[in-house]
Amino acid sequence: MKRVVTLDVNGETREALTDTRDTLLVLLRDRLGLTGTKEGCGNGNCGSCTVLVEGEPVCACLMLACEAEGARITTIEGVAHGNTLHPVQQALITHGGTQCGFCTPGIVLSAIALLDRDPAPSTQAIRHAIAGNLCRCTGYDKIVEAIAAVAEAKS
Amino acid sequence: MSQAPSRDLEPEGPSLGDRDLAVVGKRLPRVDAGERVTGRALYPADLVRPGVIIGAVKRATEAHARIIDIDTSRARALKGVLAVVTAADFPVIAPGTIIPFGETGADAWVSSLIAIARDKVLWRGQPVAAVAAIDAHVAEAALALIDVTYESLPVVADMRAAMAPDAPLLHPEWTPKGFDAGDPPPRNAGGRTLITRGDIATAMLEAEVFGAIATISDTAHQGYIEPMACVAEADPQGNVTLWASTQGAFPTEIQTAVLCGLPQSKLKVIPLEVGGAFGGKINVHLEPYAVRLAQITGRPVKMVMNRTETLTGGSGPAAAAEIEVRIGARRDGRITSIEGRYLLDTGGIPGTPTTLVMQASAACYQTQALRLEGMDICTNKPRTEAYRGPGGIQAAFAFEQAVDELALKLDMCPLELRRRNASVTGSTMPIGTPFPVIGLTSVIEAVAQHPCWTDPIAPGTLPRGRGFALGYWRGTSMTSAAHVTMSGDGRPMVTMGAVDISGTRTAMAQVAAEEFGLALDDVYVTTGDTKSSGYSDVSAGSRVGRTMAAAVSEACRDALAQLRRRAAEKLQAPAETLAYARGAFSARGASITLAELMRTTAGEGAIIGKGVSSKLPLGMEIGAQVADVEVDPETGQVTVLRYTAFQDVGRALNPPAVEGQIEGSVVQGLGWALTEGFDYDAQARLRNASLLDYRIPTALDVPPIEVVLLETPVPGVPYGVRGVGEMPIVPPAAVIANAIRRAIGVRLTHMPMTPERVRAALRMAGKG
Repeated sequence: MKRVVTLDVNGETREALTDTRDTLLVLLRDRLGLTGTKEGCGNGNCGSCTVLVEGEPVCACLMLACEAEGARITTIEGVAHGNTLHPVQQALITHGGTQCGFCTPGIVLSAIALLDRDPAPSTQAIRHAIAGNLCRCTGYDKIVEAIAAVAEAKS
Repeated sequence: MSQAPSRDLEPEGPSLGDRDLAVVGKRLPRVDAGERVTGRALYPADLVRPGVIIGAVKRATEAHARIIDIDTSRARALKGVLAVVTAADFPVIAPGTIIPFGETGADAWVSSLIAIARDKVLWRGQPVAAVAAIDAHVAEAALALIDVTYESLPVVADMRAAMAPDAPLLHPEWTPKGFDAGDPPPRNAGGRTLITRGDIATAMLEAEVFGAIATISDTAHQGYIEPMACVAEADPQGNVTLWASTQGAFPTEIQTAVLCGLPQSKLKVIPLEVGGAFGGKINVHLEPYAVRLAQITGRPVKMVMNRTETLTGGSGPAAAAEIEVRIGARRDGRITSIEGRYLLDTGGIPGTPTTLVMQASAACYQTQALRLEGMDICTNKPRTEAYRGPGGIQAAFAFEQAVDELALKLDMCPLELRRRNASVTGSTMPIGTPFPVIGLTSVIEAVAQHPCWTDPIAPGTLPRGRGFALGYWRGTSMTSAAHVTMSGDGRPMVTMGAVDISGTRTAMAQVAAEEFGLALDDVYVTTGDTKSSGYSDVSAGSRVGRTMAAAVSEACRDALAQLRRRAAEKLQAPAETLAYARGAFSARGASITLAELMRTTAGEGAIIGKGVSSKLPLGMEIGAQVADVEVDPETGQVTVLRYTAFQDVGRALNPPAVEGQIEGSVVQGLGWALTEGFDYDAQARLRNASLLDYRIPTALDVPPIEVVLLETPVPGVPYGVRGVGEMPIVPPAAVIANAIRRAIGVRLTHMPMTPERVRAALRMAGKG
């Protein structure tokens, strides 16, 4: 069965025809071409598909596309202003917090959600915030350092 | 038409030959980081081609069975299905079909069975057919309509069962390699490697103190976050393009060509970004199906493996191992004899090498007598594939615990015991040849002076202990190629034939900038496809940084030599009298920049500098790691409190990248040490095929990893670079096991060392 879904993605109103079996992840990647959001497991275990729904981090693979009707979604494509990077993105570059890059979009969005609700998180709070985002390359240290540096620069 | 550069070339480096380096060795961000943090980096699953359709694989539902029939008629009849293929659509590849691959070549027969089951299925999840359909929903429905009739065969679930005298043979046609006439192979053996030196029997008899252990390591998975994916497209003239997530464009091309019966002139492999690989993306898996489906349908075909498939037979995990080690020593702590037996579970196809595993464990120690025997054994489980320092962690889990036992028996500091027996430059390696330049002694001394070793363990309410272990990895060199062309504004453009899986583009931009004496931003580096770059082997075995640095530096010097001849004409001076520094040639007070030179001579023809590296000296990796752990005897929970990794990297091309490799590698090792293991039932059914149940470390599971870099350069290698990425995964399980032993007095001999196994060990020891 098909359904038209209308939602706000990165500040733009978008309409897409979706299969009712499709997830928000499929809608974003295949219907809207926003392939920055990655699929690593398809069942909410790896966090690669993390997007913000009404500002909260959500695994896009766990939400049906039709459930996103009317929702405000932020994907990795909506984080930078043009080519001016979000401080979290810049910090990940500076601190070497991205290697293969596949988990990076999800990490960026989890970190932004954290800093929005807690501008001065402890190291443990940072680790907790990204605990749903599996990274197999970095061992997490340089990601944690990057997020901490963003918080520090703001305070 | 050549134009003036938008800005002057930025001189950065000193002149050639001056080893006071300007770009190499600096802490620099990755040149490709921007596309990663914005989600623009392109992986095959992101690629959209006009008219693209979806391919999917039908997988074996039995672990060991004869394929009696595959009826695809119902699937073909489904609306939206465009093609169905089985083994009948691919050429038969005989055992011993050797293709160029690495140091010794590879058997395409193994690749063929990993990708396509024929006549028999050897593990659950082995591919038996594939479909192409208009979307993923139709493809999934079509898979359910393929009817495979099996004749079940008895399942061989583990190595013990496989070696039993009456065990069913997985490969009756296979002749096990490396056995003598008087020494018959066990059932289902793939092959044997024996390394011996001295009189082991006498040395063991004369030894006064022993450290011994028998360990089991469960199968673990590489756990790359990007599942395997590819896109294939065939044009009406038979030219096929394959976009892949692979560790080697050329190895993918030749494997796919052979498996599909295609001449390589008709296949181009374009390597896209790789979302983690760690050894698991060397063999082809989906690629032959994608190519054949694209040829049949005339449509681009995208295939993406899901996580369940990835874990359940769609990709090869690392080998399970059973290892026994016995080390004999004199009372003064001098090791005199080393004996080891290494069994690797190769899964459904024979041929997993055991040599490196054996070397990885014993290489750090000098001994007069040595006997190491390794065998790979076939079972009805996925064919194992490489995983970062393949076999190293399993080997060290046994060997470094045996050394620790020896230290306890001798009542000697474990670091002092290593100091007394450490291999040095020139001492004999397990394979019998002398060690090239190594810095193990300086690694041990660095540990001895570091607070991670000299600080007392922080007090806590639960038992705590400190563990220590050494690590070694041989690595490989193989061959790498690069070429350098010059842009019209005088900037070097580097094309590499090897895939970037660990920051190679950044490191090679540094090398090219250094060679040209330019700033990093004035160099362009890209990974070529198989039709635009020179043959290079897989990005594996910690080899690319070194060998590509050699190729790129040779290519830069070749280009500069060509430029020198042109500059000589311009400056009216003999070429050999020209000085070159920072992007300009000069002679007798006159000079010409590369920008000016190219602006005025581009029309004389392209500058193409070439560099090929082969048989470069090995970049042997040696290190040591120290951990403090806390063990809860009630629950068996092990918490890693502090972790320090020491490594001799020869020379760190880009320190944050090197640290990042070490941190990530250690954390992978900690994952296998504590939580990661395939849980098979007696019918070789995997019971934890998800990233929830197969638990790789999260940010909350691991402490910060402190990294200490040491630099003992390798002679004959540009900048003296050693391999980096594999060694750090070797010690962690042994480090943790040794720390647990010192915390609660029991040995953990089965990894992962889950809370359940910690509790079992305590119960066995009568301590809980």
